[in-house]
Amino acid sequence: MQQAIPYKSWPLPCIDATSHRARSTTTLGHNGRGKDVLNIVSENAVIVLARKGCCMSHVVRRLLLTLGVNPAVHEIDEENEAGILNELGTICKGTENNKMVQLPAVFIGGRLFGGLDKVMATHISGDLISVLKDAGALWL
Amino acid sequence: MNSPTPQFVPSRLSIYEPIHQIGIWGENFKRNGNPNTSTSLIVEVDNKLENESETTSHEMLAPTNNYEQEASKPIDKIQRRLAQNREAARKSRLRKKAYVQQLENSRLKLIQLEQELQRVTQQGLYMGGVSEGSHIGFSGTVTSGIAAFEMEYGRWVDVQHRQICELRTALNAHISDIELRILVKSGMGHYFELFRMKSTVAKADVFYVISGVWKTSAERFFSWIGGFRPSELLKLDPLTEQQILEVCNLKQSCQQAEDALSQGMEKLQETVSSTVAGGPVAEDSYIPQVATAMEKLEALVSFVNQADHLRQETLQQMSRILTTRQAARGLLALGEYFHRLRALSTLWATRPPEPSLP
Repeated sequence: MQQAIPYKSWPLPCIDATSHRARSTTTLGHNGRGKDVLNIVSENAVIVLARKGCCMSHVVRRLLLTLGVNPAVHEIDEENEAGILNELGTICKGTENNKMVQLPAVFIGGRLFGGLDKVMATHISGDLISVLKDAGALWL
Repeated sequence: MNSPTPQFVPSRLSIYEPIHQIGIWGENFKRNGNPNTSTSLIVEVDNKLENESETTSHEMLAPTNNYEQEASKPIDKIQRRLAQNREAARKSRLRKKAYVQQLENSRLKLIQLEQELQRVTQQGLYMGGVSEGSHIGFSGTVTSGIAAFEMEYGRWVDVQHRQICELRTALNAHISDIELRILVKSGMGHYFELFRMKSTVAKADVFYVISGVWKTSAERFFSWIGGFRPSELLKLDPLTEQQILEVCNLKQSCQQAEDALSQGMEKLQETVSSTVAGGPVAEDSYIPQVATAMEKLEALVSFVNQADHLRQETLQQMSRILTTRQAARGLLALGEYFHRLRALSTLWATRPPEPSLP
């Protein structure tokens, strides 16, 4: 019997804000963006939240691609940025990152993993692949 | 008539005693001059007394033939004192000479430092303002940030050189692993210090860091995002099988990270380029495009920081994989490599000019 894959594992390459706005019309207006984001984060094995046109997110994507992971990328508009970051901040308070979430932010397995710093460090120390496998973003 | 034995040690006597004795001596002298030896005695003792007493009598001090036996002791004492005086004067002259020498050296050093500072300030001005033809008010802080960095970096290179020599000596002397570990830690810490310095000056002027103008020309040739390629760290020595595997993995990870950053940089170049070129060319207004491009260039600081972060992580992972001795050898090889690149740059700069065509 095949094991159920816990998260949606075929994320569309560039899930942009518009498609999600369409999806989550039931959410409240004020927290609309934040809730959207939370949904996406929990639904994807790997997702990168980044500002629009950020070149660093490009770096993160390229790195994950070389590992065989095609991450979802959610671009945040400037006006929504503060709200979304606040929302994420309150959720992530329990984890090690007590500081504000920095963009680009990588979420693995529905949890905040860290910024480009963390991804690089984990990659160099050789642990990134196992982290990705645990989250179901990679097989083999 | 007995003359009292003169206690001619003026430093111990009050000024009046010699005068009293001078009086007595004077009479003797008048009667029996002893021309040869006495003259010099008169002159030197005379000088001494002139220094110490207000009145002088020039007549009296030579011992006479009559009193030679008793007088020989005072003569010895006088001669000894004179000799000591000469010695003291000589030492004093030597000390003065040494002091003046030291002053001269300090003065030369000061001139050198002033020239260095001037050169650096001018270079800072050149990099920060004139060549790009902008940020006039801004260039003050930029210049001082750059000048400060250049001085610190000069010191960093000196310390680096010293550390390399220490490592070399230590490895040849086969010191204990514990002591070697200390050297390795300080060597790595020294690199981390450089990354901190670079991060600070990048905030002042990121183009300065990326251009690599603070490095020597040969080093600049190999420059990648404002420094050496992290993969340069991975040229390594004898390794065990387990280590070969780990180093191989590290090489691969490092290369992947480098590539990702390089591609990000290319994307940034494309973005800035298209932003600058964007907008209607027919109209003579480029301010919005240039202003937007400025914002995008802020990302360059992140790239420099990320590149240094990658260098740091690679160094640390290396130190985890290697034994202390291997790490020491690796640091020595790395430091020596950059040292040779700098030497190459100097050689290149001082190469003889091309022969002119006939």
